[in-house]
Amino acid sequence: MTELAQLLEDAGLTGRGGAAFPTAIKIRAAIEKRARLIVNVCDGELGAAKDGWIVEHHLDELLDGVRLVAGISPHTRFAAHRGSATAARLAAAGLPVLETPDRYVSSEETSLISLAHGGQARPMTKRTPFVYGGRDPQGRRVKPTVVLNAETLWRISQINQHGAQWFRSFGTQAEPGPRLVAIGGYVARPGVYESAAGTPLAEVIALAGGMTQDVRHLGIGGLGGIVMTAAEARYAIWDTPGMKIYGGSIGPGIITIWNPAEDPVDTVNRMLNYGAAESAGQCGPCMFGLPALAEDWRRYVDLPSGTSARRLTDRVALLNGRGACAHPMGVARFATSALRVLEPELTGRAVGRRYLEGATRG
Amino acid sequence: MLDGSALWYLSRATGVVTVVLFTVVFCLGVITAGRRRPQGHAATIVMGVHRWLSLGMLVFLAVHIITAIVDGYVSISWLAVVLPFVSDYQPLLVGLGTLAVDLLIVVMVTSYLRHRIPERIWRGLHWVSYAMWLVAIVHGFMMGTADQPGLRLTTLACGVIGGAAVVWRTIVTHADRDRRELINAQEWS
Amino acid sequence: MASSLDVAKIAVDRVRCTGHGICAQTLPDSITLDEWGYPIVTDDQADPDEAKLAVKLCPARALYLR
Repeated sequence: MTELAQLLEDAGLTGRGGAAFPTAIKIRAAIEKRARLIVNVCDGELGAAKDGWIVEHHLDELLDGVRLVAGISPHTRFAAHRGSATAARLAAAGLPVLETPDRYVSSEETSLISLAHGGQARPMTKRTPFVYGGRDPQGRRVKPTVVLNAETLWRISQINQHGAQWFRSFGTQAEPGPRLVAIGGYVARPGVYESAAGTPLAEVIALAGGMTQDVRHLGIGGLGGIVMTAAEARYAIWDTPGMKIYGGSIGPGIITIWNPAEDPVDTVNRMLNYGAAESAGQCGPCMFGLPALAEDWRRYVDLPSGTSARRLTDRVALLNGRGACAHPMGVARFATSALRVLEPELTGRAVGRRYLEGATRG
Repeated sequence: MLDGSALWYLSRATGVVTVVLFTVVFCLGVITAGRRRPQGHAATIVMGVHRWLSLGMLVFLAVHIITAIVDGYVSISWLAVVLPFVSDYQPLLVGLGTLAVDLLIVVMVTSYLRHRIPERIWRGLHWVSYAMWLVAIVHGFMMGTADQPGLRLTTLACGVIGGAAVVWRTIVTHADRDRRELINAQEWS
Repeated sequence: MASSLDVAKIAVDRVRCTGHGICAQTLPDSITLDEWGYPIVTDDQADPDEAKLAVKLCPARALYLR
């Protein structure tokens, strides 16, 4: 078992759920504490599809990864959204499904741990990592539990089969290995594709048919990610340093090409409202801050100015690191990128509106 | 050495002081639980006084109990300090006082251990304070000797003030609690 | 360099915090409050004695030391 951890360390595998934490460290702690395993197959982020894709196309290898890590014990659970095709496929394969409500924060790892312990699928404060066990907000004991993303387990199986060197022949030194990406939205062939860090973003998008000339914006990483312009995407590199330039990361592997026929301001509006409505209502800065952020965005859109932009950036600063989970921070990051990308356009609209108002009056 | 009747009066006096202090501690706790937005240092003072006065109250309570037993004026056994309704004198009314002491022990011990026990256990047992306060008020009011209307009125006033605090807590709204309850009612499991 | 004994590292359990604001009154150099009364930790290093008092006084038991 410790050999497996060493193998994963040599391979440089990181969690494919978005946080990119070194898997070997998690596995070592999980073995030491005999932690129970929850396989995260929720595809909880907006635009996510790869976990379900693995269950559909590579279930045997996924199960091999599960066996390598924890064995398929009565305590191993496969978390999937209730009523989803993935949950049905897992159940049909005779696997123990942890049915998760279709809420944005419910697929967060501590939410799943809480749900598996008979609690609600809402995030818990991590005073220490739950792989060592801990307590839920009511003070009840939580058994040592490790949550691994479906793709991470699939990669573990592949690394065990093909070796660390094979794994490192993909991607970059810092971010090795093949990685799945879900490409959706305004593309010819939306779907799940194999990619690797360090590839030009345009090449990755070309797997799904590429961006047409009229595309203006795209999202990377869903609601917890960023929006960038199509012009930027044509020269961007698909890895964490490359995405960091635009405030994002490679995250859970999601690229969404925004339909140019839809107003990007409305899209941002919709996503911020969704983010506010999906607060689990547990942390004050989130349950009040996210609706306030959505409101500040609307005000900014109505009247773009230095003042309204500052209101928005001040609000964003108050969301960072002030929640049990990363949801408020993720929405704040998205709003920051939306402000950066749409500011010129919105300022232009405001000038245009003043011009038109002047013309009708004149 | 104080004679029996002096001890008896000391017991009455410390009993009333205990009821007054307890009512203050009780009201400060109710205010903390149902409080509005934090303003200045009020919340800290309320919390600090709640904690420290609850300890100060114990001194008066101890004198009240000891003097009531040793005065020899009426017959109350040492066992009646912890075991309710076994007193020879006024078993029911003395017993209510004993009951309040027992509940007080539960609340004090769990509060002392608060940082070492699960929060829900502390919280659940701290609710006992409401019953404890009511029992103490009834005990104080019913036993306040008829020829001491001042003591009785003081206890009555405490009852009215504490009751008002409870009513305030049930009608006061709080944004944090409202939002939590609203979202908690959604589907989460 | 100050040893770890000289300072306490404070943190807020955001799920438990209901915004009483006592931590900001007890540790004004480390904590301020947002518009709803929830703490903003401006400096997570605090005097150990003051920090311990603030932890004791927190009615929601949300403030803790790391």
